[in-house]
Amino acid sequence: MSSRAIDYARRARRTRLLLHALVIVLVLIIMFPFLWMLAMSFKTDADIFAWPPKVLFAPTTANYVALWDGNFPRSFANSAIASIVSTLLAMLAGVPGAYALSRTAMRSEKSLSLLILSSRMAPPIAFTIPYFLVYRHLQLLDTLTGLIIIYLTFNISLVVWLMRSFFDATPRSLEEAAWIDGASLWQSFVKIILPLSGPGLAATAILCFLYSWNDFFFALILTRTEAMTAPVAVVNFMNYEGWEWGKIAAGGTMVMLPVLIFSILVRKFLIQGMTAGAIKG
Amino acid sequence: MRTAIAMGREVTGAARDGVGFADLRRRFYWHLLWPTLAVLMVVTLAPTLYLVVTSLTPLNLTLPQTAWDFSRPLVNYRLLLEDGRLHDSLWTQAKLSFWTVGLQLALGFLFALLLNLRSSLLRALRTVFLIPMVLPPIVVAIIWKVLYTPDISPFYWLFAELGWDVPSLITHADWALTAIIVADTWEWFPFTMLMILAALQMMPEEHIDAARIDGANVVQMTLYVTLPYLKGVLLVAGLFRLIDSIKAFPLIFILTDGGPGTVTEVTNYYSYIQAFNFSYLGYSSAITVVLVAITVLLSWLVIRMVGWGQNVE
Repeated sequence: MSSRAIDYARRARRTRLLLHALVIVLVLIIMFPFLWMLAMSFKTDADIFAWPPKVLFAPTTANYVALWDGNFPRSFANSAIASIVSTLLAMLAGVPGAYALSRTAMRSEKSLSLLILSSRMAPPIAFTIPYFLVYRHLQLLDTLTGLIIIYLTFNISLVVWLMRSFFDATPRSLEEAAWIDGASLWQSFVKIILPLSGPGLAATAILCFLYSWNDFFFALILTRTEAMTAPVAVVNFMNYEGWEWGKIAAGGTMVMLPVLIFSILVRKFLIQGMTAGAIKG
Repeated sequence: MRTAIAMGREVTGAARDGVGFADLRRRFYWHLLWPTLAVLMVVTLAPTLYLVVTSLTPLNLTLPQTAWDFSRPLVNYRLLLEDGRLHDSLWTQAKLSFWTVGLQLALGFLFALLLNLRSSLLRALRTVFLIPMVLPPIVVAIIWKVLYTPDISPFYWLFAELGWDVPSLITHADWALTAIIVADTWEWFPFTMLMILAALQMMPEEHIDAARIDGANVVQMTLYVTLPYLKGVLLVAGLFRLIDSIKAFPLIFILTDGGPGTVTEVTNYYSYIQAFNFSYLGYSSAITVVLVAITVLLSWLVIRMVGWGQNVE
């Protein structure tokens, strides 16, 4: 090897090292706000207001204990129930349609795409006003049922869109082989296609859950006390009884915990889900 | 659904390979499809129509008789043209959208270039970049509320140590919108980054090799090879962020509540205030109808760009 080649290799390695260092520094900067709140949730009030700010401190679970003793567990459960039930209903209503769309050509395909994408993209207030008015008459304000129904507005679209692209990727020859073997149309869908789409179904369900769980606006307007969800409960720590920073940070951490876990599970599908399939990440 | 099951069973060997089977299949798919369409219509289209109807009435929650009053159907829309606070909110929205979309595309592009290097460490770190974007929006708002509150923010301690006299940004008329733009960019640049990264990884090797043989340096390569290749994905990512920026809510609600005064009051927020603080649901509906129209238009553009609805057999 000539000395020039060695020189080049050395320089390339140094550039690489430098770039890695740069990325790590950037990651730390980007993550700092997030880590700061996480740390805050384990601080006493005295440590939160300490000057200079404390990076090292004796962690306490007092904030979490205070949350547990209050109404927060109930809000947390409300969030979980509303998100899970809405996800299941959306899957039930959306998966068969997604399969049909994947296997057949439709004349009004474009209008349907527009309806689905628009309902994902519309500002939440567009649905909140009519739902609010109707719920007032149906006594559905401040109920989990009300939340579950309004979460369907974005969940159904998400299911149809994502599952359609998953079904598109399942070869048709599989069903055709099953038909030749004497399976009915229904059997080939339930016994062949659905089991094969397991990962797609799971990813779609998780994304629906995340969208519902992250909702703030619908719950803010449509619930008061009975059906209040965890995000709204955390914000209420900002209004009553002064500003309880420790509880706010702990509540925020509790709200983001399931999200982080699920997001890592479905990270491959996240971008696909968030762009309604425009980009396959 | 029951009919679909029954029909699926009807298939007999004789029908399977003839015209009858094709017909049966079409009917089967239709039976699977219509319940989905029906639910979609009931939960999304019907409320939207109701929103339009409401926008034609002077509905005020404190005056029940205003609910079905269609005597002056266009009064709300005429008011839209004269409402100065609404026009200010549109301008605020334009500033917020312009800066957040622009910054997110620029930062997303730079980070995507950086993370596109072949390295297992960088691949692992990619997941970390997901965090701001997947966090519940309300948690993002809390995080930045902490950082923008002088009493407890490590930033303000740093500013003090450096001898800088930084005002409380979120309560300062000149800085409140900037504070929101910074927080929104932090939350969403990973989204544009990941979209661009996905496109970069599908970039054909020949493009890169050809440019390299021609002696292009890194800057030339980025400007004349990579950027033109990414034009499409940048546009789609920008459109997605633009549509999303119209519904900005939690950050504004928690950080500034639209203030100080109305400097951070975007149109979506103004509509919320009209509806749920002032009880003018009729007028708020009219504002929202306009927002929905913009959303539908932009979504249509996305569909045109991506070419959905054309890939049927």
